[in-house]
Amino acid sequence: MEKEAVATRSEGTARHSFSISKITFPLLPFFTFVGFFLLWPILAVTIRSLKGNKNEWTLENYRPLIHGSYFHAFLVSIKLASITALIGALLGGLFAYVIVNSAGPKLTSVLDSISAVFANSGGVPLAFMFIAAFGTEGLFTKFLKVLGWDIYAGKFTLFSFTGVAIVYSFFQIPLMILVFKPALKGLRKEWSEASTNLGASPITYWRRVVIPILTPSFLGAFFLLFAGGFSAYATARAMTVGTVPLVPIIIGTLVDGNVISNQANLGDALAVGMIIVAAIAMSGYLFAQRRANRWRSA
Amino acid sequence: MTIFVVSVLAILIFVLPLVAASEFSFRGAKGMGHSFTNYIWLIHQDGFSEHILTSLQLAVLSGLLNLILMVPTAVLLHLKLAKWRSLVEFICILPLIIPVVSLAIGAQVSMPKFIQNSQYELVCFFVIIALPFTYRALDAALSSIDIKTLVEASRSLGASWPATIVRVIIPSIKGGITSALFLSFALAIGEFTITSLLHWDTFPTWAVVAAQQNILGAIALSVFSFVGAVLLMVLIALFSNRKRSKTNSKLEEVAA
Repeated sequence: MEKEAVATRSEGTARHSFSISKITFPLLPFFTFVGFFLLWPILAVTIRSLKGNKNEWTLENYRPLIHGSYFHAFLVSIKLASITALIGALLGGLFAYVIVNSAGPKLTSVLDSISAVFANSGGVPLAFMFIAAFGTEGLFTKFLKVLGWDIYAGKFTLFSFTGVAIVYSFFQIPLMILVFKPALKGLRKEWSEASTNLGASPITYWRRVVIPILTPSFLGAFFLLFAGGFSAYATARAMTVGTVPLVPIIIGTLVDGNVISNQANLGDALAVGMIIVAAIAMSGYLFAQRRANRWRSA
Repeated sequence: MTIFVVSVLAILIFVLPLVAASEFSFRGAKGMGHSFTNYIWLIHQDGFSEHILTSLQLAVLSGLLNLILMVPTAVLLHLKLAKWRSLVEFICILPLIIPVVSLAIGAQVSMPKFIQNSQYELVCFFVIIALPFTYRALDAALSSIDIKTLVEASRSLGASWPATIVRVIIPSIKGGITSALFLSFALAIGEFTITSLLHWDTFPTWAVVAAQQNILGAIALSVFSFVGAVLLMVLIALFSNRKRSKTNSKLEEVAA
């Protein structure tokens, strides 16, 4: 909102335009690059997912997605993404709150870069770190055993749904810290002072001011985390050797070559299916973001 | 009190796995004693340094390509082409919407052979995947200064366009440029998904193969890549922070 206002204002003042160059369309490099390396691949995979073996238009490739094992894989992926996004949003939100309110600028910038590394971590390094900590021979497993809690007494393994969910939280929490911190910084001190002056207790301040203001940003961050968890590939690939059916892994196996001839375009349909699910989550993010920006324009 | 509880929780979640992995990584042969055995094993693996170099090279290239493409685009959007801003902003969010797995399939379907046969195609896709973060970094830097006034001032004092770009625009958004560079570099150096699905070999994909041979070695490899990445990032962050405050104070001097 604010940005738009600034943009229109500055456009008004700068009527005497600069003679930047005589290039008719200076954004051409950007649009060419994005068009070729982003939009064209997506368009191509969408078109191919709608083609049959004889190059005819068909929806046949999408049929396996709505029932049976592929449908189940979508459900498992969505469940994993929702649970880990929720854990990430709650714990990451708490950590971000503490960092914003009690860390100095230097510590904050160090914590920021650590969060950036952890949020982008995944794959083999992450998997083996958790094997060292929570595997059957893991240090933490042994420590808990001494305390009398054998985490392997039941059905738990690190390579089950629960195990993968724990590992995913490891990158969801720092991602939440990164995306939620700006919203927390936007909480003005004056608001808390004003509500105290008007006689509100801290609980009322939280219930009537903080939570309503932060809810859109929080939901937005949740959707962002969901999209990230839903499409995560490296970690799942390192941890689940077919133990947990996840859509990205299935696509990866199809790409790696073991394709049955009549399923040639199935991978394309799965890829487009993933885009659809992620797009729904991200439109939630964009909508929430717009609501959140209302408060910043004030 | 809250701070204490939260710190303990954070340590439990983030530090313990690292500590456990470090302990394992220093175990000696057959798990007896502690030594550097596993790290020595790691360094002597075939292709260790080659793949690190490949990854560094791709990361540097994608950082540079990102700047060449995005700095002029972002500056132009702020200076002159404000009406295109919402479209570019939307395009720059797309890589968050489109799962990398789907982009990889699309790339296999659509890219011409001569591109598919070069590992530098990865540089282009790394730039695409980093787009949401680099655009936001540059946009934030440009929004925090009044670039139009600065450019007008510089031009009316007789500076040429190249001088304005080198001595006014770039210094005043240096913070944004460093963080854009830093983000795209970090992303490229650890990228696994599209690299592996397009069948290229970089350090992260090499690590998967190396990890299958020796579990203690694999844990050493994990600690190595984690600690290496954290150190690199913290160093760059501290360095760029210092620079940023310097340019800020210079600008303030100019303003005063």
